[in-house]
Amino acid sequence: MQVLKTKFHTGLLLFLLLCSWSMPAQTPPNREYQVKAAFLFNFAQFVEWPPAALPELSTPLVIGILGEDPFGSYLEAIISGEKINGHPLKVEHYRSLEEVKTCQILFLNITEPKKLGQVIASLKGRTILTVGDAPDFIQEGGMIRFFIGNNKIQFQINQEEAKSQRLIISSKLLRLAKTEGPGKK
Amino acid sequence: MSIILLVSGTMLLLTCGAFVIYEYQTSRQIVKRNLSIIGEIISANSTAALAFENHKDANEMLATVRAEPYIIAAGIYDMKGNLFSQYPLTLPANTFPVRPGIKGYNFTPSSLEGFEPIFQGNKQLGTLYLKSDLGAIYERFRLYGAIVILIMVISFLLAYLLSRILQKGISAPILSLAETAKIVSDRKDYSVRASPQGKDELGALTDAFNQMLTQIQVQNFELSEFNQKLEQKVSERTLELEVANKELESFSYSVSHDLRAPLRSINGFSKILNEKYYNILNEDGRELLKIIIGNAIKMGRLIDDLLAFAQLGRRTLAKMKVDMKAMVLNVWEDLSRAESDRKIEFILKDLPDTYADAGTIKQVWINLISNALKYTKHTEKTVIEISSEEKDGTVIYCVKDNGTGFDMQYYHKLFGVFQRLHSQEEFEGTGVGLAIVQRIIEKHGGKVWATAKLNEGASFYFSLGS
Repeated sequence: MQVLKTKFHTGLLLFLLLCSWSMPAQTPPNREYQVKAAFLFNFAQFVEWPPAALPELSTPLVIGILGEDPFGSYLEAIISGEKINGHPLKVEHYRSLEEVKTCQILFLNITEPKKLGQVIASLKGRTILTVGDAPDFIQEGGMIRFFIGNNKIQFQINQEEAKSQRLIISSKLLRLAKTEGPGKK
Repeated sequence: MSIILLVSGTMLLLTCGAFVIYEYQTSRQIVKRNLSIIGEIISANSTAALAFENHKDANEMLATVRAEPYIIAAGIYDMKGNLFSQYPLTLPANTFPVRPGIKGYNFTPSSLEGFEPIFQGNKQLGTLYLKSDLGAIYERFRLYGAIVILIMVISFLLAYLLSRILQKGISAPILSLAETAKIVSDRKDYSVRASPQGKDELGALTDAFNQMLTQIQVQNFELSEFNQKLEQKVSERTLELEVANKELESFSYSVSHDLRAPLRSINGFSKILNEKYYNILNEDGRELLKIIIGNAIKMGRLIDDLLAFAQLGRRTLAKMKVDMKAMVLNVWEDLSRAESDRKIEFILKDLPDTYADAGTIKQVWINLISNALKYTKHTEKTVIEISSEEKDGTVIYCVKDNGTGFDMQYYHKLFGVFQRLHSQEEFEGTGVGLAIVQRIIEKHGGKVWATAKLNEGASFYFSLGS
């Protein structure tokens, strides 16, 4: 009888551990991601999409998040009531690549480089501004990468990549970033 | 000349002052516009730095105001109102305004400062603050001021030189002409001439002036000559007149004298006849004698009066202070004694003293008062009033009676010699009395006149000259 009880406890413990492993941690967004959310919104003001991407004034400008959502409700809070060049804003969450429909900015919360490269490659031609904070985001073909420098949130921009996707980034934004040429691949 | 210089100097100063003020105003506007433009440019370029909280970029952006040396501070505020970035970096944060203000620039006594909101699209990201000192304005001002002063000095010098030249050429000759005219008028010396001035307009003026003076001189000479001749003529005539007058006077004097002598005889012997042979004469004879005596007396009076009249011409007046009231009383006493049987009301008002020849003035009173008494003979209640009044600074004496009066129609005869307005039967008299009065009054430089109404009385007025 005693052996069965301990086995049950261990089983319970294991189960709980598994749960915490597989389920995404619902922690409130920290300062870093609050700032990044603001930046995402601001990017929209300094980037020009080709006319086909936003054909009508009523067409919403979509900010998409692929993968885990690190922003919490903050991104929705920031964009609520705002317009960019007359377009209303919308936030969409995608769990897989297939779910990605029309969007203009896509935040890729993927760290595994190979997977990242695959995803980015498949996004080509869809005039999406790709943003991420993986260390080799730019090398894998991403356009804007967040990083922490001097205790501040900074970003790198791959202007060539953006240009190839027919996205025009304002010089004001470029000035603030560290641009990089084609990836080291 | 100094007045002209002063006036033109003032006008120039006012004009320059107006320009300076205008310049100052426009300078301020220009500087403000300048700062505003710089503000707009910087704020447009600072949007990304603000949006992405990039202090380094914002500082670099602000530092570009270095290009405008008069800007002394610049700052960017975020939407929370905190100072996000500043220029220069060394300036302590408390020299910047605590909160960003509304859009626009304003002048303070020592600076120009203001705010420009930073917009990206329709969204305001923050506010730009700029502050510039007024050095730009003052430098312009200084330059302008220096130019103004230079212009004023040069203009003044030119004006001065010009006026000197003009003065010499125009004012001086005109003034000397005026001077000459003045000398001529003051000294009445028509031989003076203005110095000739050459062949231009001023010369023509001077020549004309001198010509005029010559004319005046000639005419003056003729006039004085004529005057002299006239004077001569007048004195000649006066002499002739005096001689004639003298002859006339001695004539009338001797005539009256010569007339008197036989008259005295007639008078005397008639009286003797009346006394001695009164009893012998009958009624008719006594009557005839009475007539003779009466006429003799009358003739005597006439001669007396004539003599008195003639004598008046010779006498010179011995003027002295005369108490008129006392004199009138005296005369009245004498004359009224003979009229004691009559009812006479005599009113004598206060008479001011005068300065005149006592003897002849007494004669005036005698003649006037005796006339008053004579012509009120038939009036039941005689009223004779003697008064005076002052009119326009002259004293007018008045003798008024309520007697028979006279017709004003014959006023022109009133003062004539031997002219009578009544018959001998009505009132006796020689017709010389008033003529004597007039002569005496006129010799005193005064006036005598009268007003009357038939049967209502007469008023005689006279005034004496000063």
